[in-house]
Order: sequence, then structure tokens, then C-alpha cells
Amino acid sequence: MAQNLINANPTVYNTKTLIRKETEAELDDDIEDPIDAQEVFDLIRSISDPEHPLTLEQLNVTQFEHIQVDNQSSKILIEFTPTIPHCSMATLIGLCIRVRLLRSLPDRFKVDIRVRKGTHQSEGAVNKQLNDKERVAAALENNHLLEVVNQCLATASLRGTEVAAN
Amino acid sequence: FFFVSSTGHQDRVWQAAWHPTKTLLATCSGDKTVRLWQPASHDNFSEWHCVETLEGAHKRTIRSVAWSPTGNEIATASFDATTGIWENDPRENDWECVATLEGHENEIKSVSWSSTGALLATCSRDKSVWIWEVEQDNDFECLSVLQEHTQDVKMVTWHPKLEILASASYDDTIKIWKEDDDDWYCADTLQGHTSTVWSLDFNAEGDQIVSASDDQTLRIWKMYKANNPQGVMTPNGDAAWKSICTLSGFHERCIYSVSWSKVNDRIASVSGDNSIRIFEKDMEREDPDAPVYKNLTTTTDAHGVYDINGVAWFPTEKHADWLSTVGDDGLVRIWRLVE
Repeated sequence: MAQNLINANPTVYNTKTLIRKETEAELDDDIEDPIDAQEVFDLIRSISDPEHPLTLEQLNVTQFEHIQVDNQSSKILIEFTPTIPHCSMATLIGLCIRVRLLRSLPDRFKVDIRVRKGTHQSEGAVNKQLNDKERVAAALENNHLLEVVNQCLATASLRGTEVAAN
Repeated sequence: FFFVSSTGHQDRVWQAAWHPTKTLLATCSGDKTVRLWQPASHDNFSEWHCVETLEGAHKRTIRSVAWSPTGNEIATASFDATTGIWENDPRENDWECVATLEGHENEIKSVSWSSTGALLATCSRDKSVWIWEVEQDNDFECLSVLQEHTQDVKMVTWHPKLEILASASYDDTIKIWKEDDDDWYCADTLQGHTSTVWSLDFNAEGDQIVSASDDQTLRIWKMYKANNPQGVMTPNGDAAWKSICTLSGFHERCIYSVSWSKVNDRIASVSGDNSIRIFEKDMEREDPDAPVYKNLTTTTDAHGVYDINGVAWFPTEKHADWLSTVGDDGLVRIWRLVE
């Protein structure tokens, strides 16, 4: 089985225990908490890798530093880093991130998802496909693909908490 | 600019198409249906109702809908890789799917009837454009499979008068297709956009095309025939198309659809930036080989926070100031341009 994996032996990173310290304002229900990069990171950090029982955060595929949120103009830019430059799973990983955000964020957000510059040999092609909403819509009508995406997203709701427990 | 809003679709709406003569609008959606919309009465345009739902023929999203020139047939292009042909039964005023065209390998993105109704074109994610001949008794014969695009083909549209077809692709180009002795061939490839070309439309004369792209620009292309006085090269004797104007700096995200009014020459575009923009040629700076277009008006958040996927001007004089738009919010909106 292992020899069929795209990246059979990935580097596993120590996940930072990057947990939001809740301020008094955040605990106060009368004060609105704008959606920020920490919130978006929490939404995607615990998505599972398609081929390893590890999260995107543990594989260093998603990083807090590579998320830009402009709450005012409802724009989000997420850059992710495939584990290897020829990773054929890059599009699937990006699709998982997109679907997670489609399902969790308010509709007003326009989300751009890109491979971090210089980290994938077909970054142009991957980026173009991930940001073509028609192709994303068609992909999500494919039951097999949707099942794979849902599997990767099954752990997404952990929002990094299993890391904190360790 | 005012609007009427109609609800009914259960998913994102992809495209809107006006009946060639009647005040009747067809829209298609991710909910696998086409809906037909009509005003409440002949003199009440402030309320529109869904008068018919075409359903059951497609298993997946209907991406594109097109009326035949007579308005008696509708063609639907679906992600299920088939094209549906629907016919109106005038006795019952009922619509029935009378033919299903198969052949594309995967999602069909667009369908278009030629001006005479004799030909139908479809295009697909399989990178091909198919030309079908419309025969008697709802029979369709595939005349040609054109495979020169290198990526997903997003849209096909016929010339308003001639049997010339234009296609727009994810490969960033537009191609012009013509027939020579029963053989269809690519007569020109229009290069200039730097990302996916989503939509295109001819002007009334058919000597210009406007195209809309993910690169956030619109381009106007002009046809130059062989031996044109401007000295534009025309290899193989075929007319050459040249980009004569680029409208940039207006839309801030992908432009999904563009419509060129055959009546008043205005161009309407809609985008993932939630806005509708109307452009008009600047008559004071008239140069047929380098026209200037000005942004006549802009409606921001025309479908709230949602992407707008389709726009279509009313095709005849009767309501030349009407515009329909459809969006990710599942809504169909009718607008009137107020001077």
C-alpha cells in the first residue's frame, strides 16, 4: 500500500498550540467578533490529508501566516503548501479547503485559494482550477469525489483542539 | 434602474435567455430545471411569475438554455453530458423533452442555435465543440466534432446572420469556426485574454464580438475581411479578428457573462464582484478601429452579496431597455434602464 502513496513518507510537523485566547470582548455576546485569519485557520487546520491520518496543519499544508482576511470587503486569500512539489493531491486538498469554507463562512465572503508561490510545479493550473466555480460545482456533483472530500472534512470540526489536548 | 425579483429556483441560477419575440424568459439552474417567467399581465411588469418548469430530463445541473429562432423549441445543456431538446405543444401550451443528444464525454457548458435554426452547437469540458444539423422530426445529426481548444470550452454562440460560430475557452482563447464544403474548420483564434474566457456576444451586424474573462476585462474584437483598407493581414483569405478595445479597471472579479444589445448597441456585463455594468460607445471619440467605451452606469450588489452569473438584454425594440440577470442567490431579476 505504502508504495502507491504520492508522498509515502511526509514530514510531520509539531503543531503549534495556536489557540485563540478569548478576550473579554469575545466572550461578550453583545460585541460582534469580526471573522479574522485565526477563525479561518481554525476552520481548516484539522482537515485530514487525503492519504495520511494527519491534519493539514500537521503536514504544514496550512499555516496561520498564509491566510489573509479582509473582513471589511469580505475577501479571503488562502495559500497552502503541498507536501511535495509534484503532489497530485494538491487540487483535492484545495477543493477540501474550498468546500469547508463554502459550508462554514457567511455567503458574503469571496474566497481565493492558491498554492503558495513556488511550492508546486503546476501551481498555475492548480490555482486556475480551484478558482473556477463552475468546475468546482461540477466536481461536487461527482458522488465519488464528494465522498472523498467529506472524509477529509470529517475531522475539520476539531478546529485544532486535539492538538491542544496533547 | 429598477428591478423585479423572482424566486423559484432551488439552487444557483446559471443563465437567462429571452424568448425571441415574447416577454418570456427562460432560466436554468443547479436545481436541474429550466423555469419560464412571465409578467403578471400585459400591462403589469412589476410582478413576474414562473409559468412553467421544465424538469425530469437532466440528472445534473443545467448550465445553459437557448431558444430556437422560432421560439417553439428550447435546448438545454447539462453537466450530465447530454443536451435536451424541448418542444412546445401549442394546444396545451406544454413543454416536452423530445430529444436527448449524446456524445460529449463530460459536462456540457453551453448550447446555441444558429440564426436560421438549421444548426445547433454545443461545447464541453471535454475540450470539443460539436455542430449538429437539425433535421425533420426532432432528429439531430452530428456534422462535426471540433477539437482545437486545448481546455474546457465555456461558451458557444452563433453569428446573428451567418453560419459562423464563436467559442470561448478555459484556454484563454476565442475561436471562430466556419464551414467549407461540409467541412468545419477553425478560421481564426483570438488571443489576448490572460485567463478563462467565460462569455461572448456578437453585435447586431456580426462584425464585432465582445468577450468577458476571468482576467477582469472585456475585449471588443473586430472582423477585418480580406484586402481590408486598414491593411490587417488575413491569412488563408479568411477574415481576421483583432482586439480593438479593452475595458479594464471596472470589474474587480471574474466577469461571468456579457450581453451586447442588438437594439441599442449597449453592452452589459456581470461579475463575481456582485455588480452589473453598462457600457456605451463614446460617440465624440468615434474611431471605428479604436473605439472608446464609457461606463454608462453601474449597479453594485445587484444580487446582494452574490456572484452574478448571467445577463441578457431583451432582444427586440419592444422592451430594449430591459435586462435580466441571474445569480448564485437563486434569484432571477428583471431590470429596466432608466435614462
